[in-house]
Amino acid sequence: MSTPLVLTYVGFFVMAAITLGGALMAVSARNLIRAALGLIIALIGIAGIYFVLEAEFVAVVQILVYVGAISILILFAVMLTRGLMKRDLPAQNAQWIAAAFISLAMFAALLYVALSTNWRAVETQVAGDLIPKLGTELMTTYLLPFEAVSLLLLAALVGAIVIARE
Amino acid sequence: MSLSVPDLNFRVIAPALIVALTALIVLLAELVTPAPRKRWLGVLGLIGLLIAAGATVGLWGAPASAFGGMVVADNFGLFLTLVILLGAALSILLALDFVRAHRVDQGEYYVLVLFAVVGMILMATATDLIVIFLALELLSLPLYILAAFKRADARSLEAGLKYFLLGAFSSAFFLYGIAFIFGGTGTTNLMKIADALAKNPRNDLLLVGAGLLLVGFAFKVALVPFHWWTPDVYDGAPTAVTAFMSVGVKAAAFGAFFRAFLVALPAFAFDWRIVLAALAVLTMTLGNVAALLQSNVKRMLAYSSIAHAGYILIALVAMGASGLSSALFYLLAYTLTNLGAFGAVIALSDGERERLEIRDWGGAARQYPFIAAMFAIFMLSLAGFPPLAGFTGKFLIFSAAVETGWAWLAVIGVLNSLVSAYFYLRPIVQMYMSEPVPGWDRIRVAPLVALALVLALIGVIALGLYPTPAIVMATGGFLR
Repeated sequence: MSTPLVLTYVGFFVMAAITLGGALMAVSARNLIRAALGLIIALIGIAGIYFVLEAEFVAVVQILVYVGAISILILFAVMLTRGLMKRDLPAQNAQWIAAAFISLAMFAALLYVALSTNWRAVETQVAGDLIPKLGTELMTTYLLPFEAVSLLLLAALVGAIVIARE
Repeated sequence: MSLSVPDLNFRVIAPALIVALTALIVLLAELVTPAPRKRWLGVLGLIGLLIAAGATVGLWGAPASAFGGMVVADNFGLFLTLVILLGAALSILLALDFVRAHRVDQGEYYVLVLFAVVGMILMATATDLIVIFLALELLSLPLYILAAFKRADARSLEAGLKYFLLGAFSSAFFLYGIAFIFGGTGTTNLMKIADALAKNPRNDLLLVGAGLLLVGFAFKVALVPFHWWTPDVYDGAPTAVTAFMSVGVKAAAFGAFFRAFLVALPAFAFDWRIVLAALAVLTMTLGNVAALLQSNVKRMLAYSSIAHAGYILIALVAMGASGLSSALFYLLAYTLTNLGAFGAVIALSDGERERLEIRDWGGAARQYPFIAAMFAIFMLSLAGFPPLAGFTGKFLIFSAAVETGWAWLAVIGVLNSLVSAYFYLRPIVQMYMSEPVPGWDRIRVAPLVALALVLALIGVIALGLYPTPAIVMATGGFLR
């Protein structure tokens, strides 16, 4: 194995461990603030995996949007909701055994598929600066989804105002 | 640098575009509309829907695709577009007085309905999983808000929140499925997935992807066992919203469901039809049996809509041209009938007080003979009595199933229809055989609601007596 490949593997496993650890903390913490912090760690781990996969732009966007904006929003929402901060909430309910069983079955199925699939290596590396290419694709091939997203955001904005106004 | 969009053709998405434009106009007009005149915004929305319907008819018969195969205007999609526009127009008619009676008379109501319609039309005409997903979100998001639109009512808020949480959950399944399909085939375009499958029919990644996609669709069209949200959301949401979402979401989501499975997956080595057949049996049976036990009209109609999703699923199992056209016809018949049924609940409610319990309907036939008669006809159509639209629809679906060798599924469907007759007849018996319930005798039926009911009634009877033109229209099929 060449050195860069070893580094890629090490990077991937470190980032995967961070992601999983954060996710575990998010679902098992009894304090909501801790759970939110766990989520932030998991999201940073995912950004790291994007870095390892050489998708730097997506990684930066992931940190900006998810770690920077959404997590802060979650923290604010928790802090502004009366009584939610101090109380310890149970992290499980009565259905956790069934949920664990279904999750394990799902994991087994995904593992089987991941191992049985003959993964194709990407032969062609996209040359040059990626971000202009991404922008061009968004305005040409993916113009319709792009416009649909803008409409979706407008609908969300109107909806948020309808729900929130006095 | 020049940017060129592959087959840029706005004509193909004209119906969705017109509705989107209408939504924006209504949104701006809301700023300058004084509070007592908000209902004119609804009228503006109705005009936009009519123009969009005109554009849809103009596209008829000349299948075309646009934006690099992201969206098509084939007769299958256009038929569903017309069904969606019809459903939206009738539910706006139902809502014009309803929102005033419930003191939620705001222009945003119509804006959100129109946004949802854009999503529904895109979903029914999209041929790319990315567009289908975004359309699904675009139709769901306004509906979450609309379900919670009556913010003074805790049950409405609960319905909105429940719908939002479970909807977001199901969207995640859907998206995960798309990711697996992309991993397995390298594309999100339905036709290209079919090509990839034809070369390599055994594809485990695609199997997982299709399974997750199925879960996402099953949530949206409320198939058992992914139906738990339906009764609570249908019951808690304002009745005009329930009427709209019970028909619009079904038409749009079944459209994409059929297209995804029949265009992309026919060459699949794994026979997914047996899974769908099992889901259909579960959905019909559980929906009908649970509806038997309800004493609340809205909950009964919620379980009934679950059962109807099961019947429509039989058409997907049958595949082929007859399965496809029978599903389209059924969705049209179901849209008219279900809107009529919810419309009757709205028509005979007293301000904010609604006849939610079946016993409240006692003697309604004596006090309001016309509305009661129409409600009875809608109930009979849902149960599948001839010569109404519901009968023709069921007949077409069951015969499509028999033709393609799924006779046992058709038999279970017929047995289920028999069971369903019991709970559809219960409100009728109550209206015609019981003594009037005191306190329900001073209702002024809103003329616009009565108009919507009459229009739906004409459709239900016409489709039952002379279904041929609609069946011919429904046989257009996909542009592959």
